Amino acid sequence: MRAADEAYPVGAAPPAESYLNAARILAVATRAKCDAVHPGYGFLSENAAFAQAVVDAGLVFVGPPAAVQRALGEKTTARRIAREAGVPVAEGTEPLADLADARVAARRIGYPVLLKPAGGGGGKGMRLVAREEDLAPAWRMSTGEATAAFGAPALYLERAIERPRHVEMQILADQRGSVVWLGERDCSIQRRHQKLIEETPGPAVDATLRRRLGEAAVRVARAAAYRSAGTVEFLVDASAGFVFLEVNTRLQVEHPVTEMVTGLDLVALQLRIADGEALPFAQADVAPRGAAIECRITAEDARAGFVPTGGVVALVREPAGPGVRVDSALVAGVSVPTEYDPLLAKVIAHGPDRATAIVRLRRALREMRVAGLPTALPFHRHVLAEPDFVAGRYDTGYVAAHWPPRDEPELADTAAASAALVAVLARRERSARAPQAPDDGAWARAAREDALRELPT
Amino acid sequence: MRYEVALAGRALRVDLSSDGRFAVDGQAVAADAREVVRGRQWSVVLDGRSHEVTLVTYEPLRLDVDGVDVEVSVVDERSQSARRDGIRSASGRVEIRAPMPGLLKSVHVAEGDTVERDAPLVTLEAMKMENELRSPVRGRVTKLGYASGTKVEGGAVLAVLVQTSE
Repeated sequence: MRAADEAYPVGAAPPAESYLNAARILAVATRAKCDAVHPGYGFLSENAAFAQAVVDAGLVFVGPPAAVQRALGEKTTARRIAREAGVPVAEGTEPLADLADARVAARRIGYPVLLKPAGGGGGKGMRLVAREEDLAPAWRMSTGEATAAFGAPALYLERAIERPRHVEMQILADQRGSVVWLGERDCSIQRRHQKLIEETPGPAVDATLRRRLGEAAVRVARAAAYRSAGTVEFLVDASAGFVFLEVNTRLQVEHPVTEMVTGLDLVALQLRIADGEALPFAQADVAPRGAAIECRITAEDARAGFVPTGGVVALVREPAGPGVRVDSALVAGVSVPTEYDPLLAKVIAHGPDRATAIVRLRRALREMRVAGLPTALPFHRHVLAEPDFVAGRYDTGYVAAHWPPRDEPELADTAAASAALVAVLARRERSARAPQAPDDGAWARAAREDALRELPT
Repeated sequence: MRYEVALAGRALRVDLSSDGRFAVDGQAVAADAREVVRGRQWSVVLDGRSHEVTLVTYEPLRLDVDGVDVEVSVVDERSQSARRDGIRSASGRVEIRAPMPGLLKSVHVAEGDTVERDAPLVTLEAMKMENELRSPVRGRVTKLGYASGTKVEGGAVLAVLVQTSE
């Protein structure tokens, strides 16, 4: 908000009253004399009804048209489009009528199966079901979560691939029928089917697989009459076989890694495409350089199994340096609410090769400070030095296998003594204050006041 | 005041004198500790080495030491003796809680046992140190929270006693 030239309130904190309130957002857009709406990568970026409402209000929607979003947003329809375009899909079903239906289908496909909401992606409501007796409780929970997240309870089943890598392909399509692919991102480092680290190029993707994935993504995009930036997601198995997963009809959180290696500004290209311009380059002009890795710094207590945490940011230091990019919403004094996605900042490093990108990212993460609430920073610091990650040996089972760490951190004697001294000083300072003082008292208040002073009045 | 500090697999004893000097494990240390950000960040120069220590969260106590994440437990003499008194209610019910997260190494009593004051109840291994938690009262063990070999969170109720007249 502080980077904006103009800002208007859209409603109270609960998403349904603000960011999901399309009518309110369009009223604000009209009043502010906007000519286009960019939905970001949050709540409204994959909402066909919103895309249609924007167009109906006489504005340009920066993203694929509502009809495309609707077709690809319904996951079994997207699978059909991919299959008809000659792209392999995992064996699976159409939306299922009920649990009995699911039981029959699961027996036919064979366990383990993935139970997925037909109405939306992003890992919400998705469950791996290993045995038939687990199907009934999974069905109940996924139905509830799908209804809450997408307003649609429909579920379908897919054959589960053992220890896959989650590899996705960035595409761009203009309104004149040109479609290009911009390279893959490996997003296998996930918890609860949600991404924590993304990188390009994928450590397990060679030039042949890259071209096959790129061409498959372009075929899906053409078959769906896709426009704007989008991502086609695949699962890649240990022998470089792949199946289509879904299409994310929006810009993604992890788009900076692709920007770093291609030198392209994806948001600017989205705007130019929305304005009717032709893509200013062809497939042959796309020449990725080096490697880039992104870490998502979330408001989650990584040490306590990634439980979401709220709180007041008491202190922030963001890293900088060659090849380092930080996209951040962190400001000292800001209160982190629990109503929204826990993403606080993205730290991205680019280098001429993967080893350099790792060294730069490791240094950036060690330079970064966030205090006042637990974050995922300790997780990222651990992973960037962990041998399997450094060697590029990982799949979607990585977090379960490598976190929490087994070993205590290594500290020099003077560092340990310094930490012990500070622990004692902090303890003494706290007990000198009122015993019921909140965790972030005076400092946070002062910081908040500082932050407020920076706001334009 | 003397403090027992456990971090990164080490146990350190810190003595802090009223004039601000301190000793680690009995050895006086020449350290320059500056509070850079009040209550949040300190710059410490010790034996010619410079360290930046940030208080990430106070509860649980987590520090960022030059970009390394460390969980810390601090026990001072006063709270050690306070803890000995347990949490006592008017009904004479006393809860024995884990002072820090750790592994419940062994349980020395059974439910229904009557124990004397200072009798060992359980042994908790935390940060590679074994802590014997003793009964602050003479009483009867009415409940044991966990079996030995269990990992427990800080604050977990390990045992409940009902005080009997002395």
